[in-house]
Amino acid sequence: MKVLRFFLILILFLPLNLNAEENDKRNKITKNLRCLICQGQSVYDSDSEFANSLKIVVDKKLEEGLSEDQIYEYFKTKYGEWILYDPVLNKNTYILWLLPLLIFLVGGAIIYKSFIVKK
Amino acid sequence: MIFSLVGYYSLILGLIIGLSLFYFSYKNFNNSNILDTKILSFTFLQLLFVLISFLCLIFSFIFSDFSNETVFNNSHTTKPLFYKISGTWGNHEGSLLLWLLVLTLFIFLFLVKTKNQPIKYKILTLVFQQIIIVGFFLFLIKTSNPFNYIFPIPSEGLGLNPILQDPALAIHPPILYLGYVGSSIIFSSVLAATSLKIISTSWASHIKKWILISWIFLTIGILLGSIWAYYELGWGGFWFWDPVENVSLMPWLALTTLLHCILVLEKKSILTSWVIILSIATFTLSMCGTFLVRSGILNSVHTFANDPERGLFILVFLFILILLSILIFFFFHKDNDRKSYNFFWLSKETSILINNWFMMYFLSVVLIGTIYPIFLDVISSQKISVGPPFYHKLMIPFLIPFLFMMAIGPKLKWIKSQLEDKIYLISFLIISIILAFLVLKNFNQNILINTILISSALYLFFITMRDFFVKKYKNISQNIAHFGFSLLILSILFNNLFASEIITNLKVGETFENSKTKIVFESVDQKTEQNYNAIIANFSISNSNGEEDRFSPELRIYNQPVIATSEADIKTTLMTDKFIVINLVQNQDFFNVRYQVKPFMLWIWLSVILISFGGIVSFLKKRS
Repeated sequence: MKVLRFFLILILFLPLNLNAEENDKRNKITKNLRCLICQGQSVYDSDSEFANSLKIVVDKKLEEGLSEDQIYEYFKTKYGEWILYDPVLNKNTYILWLLPLLIFLVGGAIIYKSFIVKK
Repeated sequence: MIFSLVGYYSLILGLIIGLSLFYFSYKNFNNSNILDTKILSFTFLQLLFVLISFLCLIFSFIFSDFSNETVFNNSHTTKPLFYKISGTWGNHEGSLLLWLLVLTLFIFLFLVKTKNQPIKYKILTLVFQQIIIVGFFLFLIKTSNPFNYIFPIPSEGLGLNPILQDPALAIHPPILYLGYVGSSIIFSSVLAATSLKIISTSWASHIKKWILISWIFLTIGILLGSIWAYYELGWGGFWFWDPVENVSLMPWLALTTLLHCILVLEKKSILTSWVIILSIATFTLSMCGTFLVRSGILNSVHTFANDPERGLFILVFLFILILLSILIFFFFHKDNDRKSYNFFWLSKETSILINNWFMMYFLSVVLIGTIYPIFLDVISSQKISVGPPFYHKLMIPFLIPFLFMMAIGPKLKWIKSQLEDKIYLISFLIISIILAFLVLKNFNQNILINTILISSALYLFFITMRDFFVKKYKNISQNIAHFGFSLLILSILFNNLFASEIITNLKVGETFENSKTKIVFESVDQKTEQNYNAIIANFSISNSNGEEDRFSPELRIYNQPVIATSEADIKTTLMTDKFIVINLVQNQDFFNVRYQVKPFMLWIWLSVILISFGGIVSFLKKRS
């Protein structure tokens, strides 16, 4: 019963949240930008002057009709890759993105080879 | 003055005892019918001296003895007593002294509590632990002496960073350290057991208790830090993938893996090499964490006290410990379980190995994500940031099979097994998918991945829920922890998906209104406390159902040091948190207001408590 109530309430929640969508894109972008003058905060989370001015820039760029990727590109050329929380895949970041996956594959192979009885 | 003196010489005495223990251990080791009482009493004396030293530092803080440099840098006469005390470990020197205290405490408890194990093993564990302890003594005395004098004596201290003046953060470091440093005893004993070649099922069940202790404290410590970040850092999140958070997550992942792996060793006496490697890795990761945080290499909210000399010392020390463990591993350990032991695809062993496999993957993601930017900076001086999107992209897809395995794995039997109750398993799967779809049907973003994710978490939820009512199902601690984990993932998902937020600028007397929410900024009050002055803003916020709440977030200006912070006001109910925080906008007469509705917030905390409760139940369980 308790579980059911859980989900009834949850379903009732839904309409409440749909209006937030107009800001979604801006929030998504600012969450991926580092506030350069803060300690480990995103632009979205920060209320520093730097962050606030960047939020305005993002709004402006969105109004100009730039896509998400174009906006990231704009900030990247202006401030360097340091500002992006979501590092793009290039020759600098191959190891970053692919090494964990490689470890996963190797780990699976080791388990399969050494322990499991083959029929 | 007197406290600094006593504290300092206690440290020196503790170090001397540490060195003399090597000698007694050596003597006792060659003639090891009984454990030399000198060893036990000297270990106790060492603990006592470190405790005295630690108490001296606490008293220096309580009496605001500013002739002590640590106190001068981190305290102030106007601070409330509670924060004077917690200021003791709210800084580099004091927190290291706490490390040392926990190190000595654990080895003493280990010697007292360990029964039915060879004397040689106990002595050797003590030796390895003393290597760590002596290393920390030297580190403390040489680079971070908490009892340095200042002359002339300043009349007032510099104060404690206001964001550390908080009840949750006052107990967060000690609890976390019990977990971090607790892993040192696992490290020492695994090295001892490897050297003596006594790794066996009985050793496994003996060390399992120590793994559980560290794991429980580490879990709760991380939870406290997370709760603190939620209400104190003031932007409503609870996990930021900040490097220092990652640093605490990595030993946790390794320890959780070890906890599962040791179950296999306990039953079947296999995977010994893997257990050794994991035990070494856990402590190394804790040490690396200390190194990364203390050396100031990481860009993080937690970084205090950056000093290259300290970083170098820890790095060298860490290098010695790793070298030592590698040598012991290769010289003493002979792995002979592979040929003699095999098991079938569908078995408990396989499921635990799969758990280990995925956990190691998650660990490698966190590890690489945390250190790769530093590495890249060093070799090519290019700065990149690795933030939440990276971790989410690499982890979430792998979470789905992981959750399914968590549901099914514990049901399997050793060596070879068959799935029982197939009808239940499949019908729960269908129910989960339908429910997840119903919940998300109005939601148009990423519906596919979210549905799959939620259904896998729901699946684990239902399966573990049902297992509570199955009589023959015995492993209650595991079930509680897995149930807690499903609840955690569900809460995080719903919290993310259904959170809503309003950001606006308001002056006193103004009202913000949209179709769902009305925010009235009613008035502003002022308040003066011992350690800060505050501006209190009063809001009344009503939603479309006509419910009205009153909020009073604060802007605090702490006096020592002068730092402004925002105190959020949070209304917590069973199902949602309402979170409001204000900020002053420079040179303007309005406030920046951020209001968030965050469903299931409380459940995130509760589920982590449930997970650690699973650990506690397992710890208290009598060995069958």
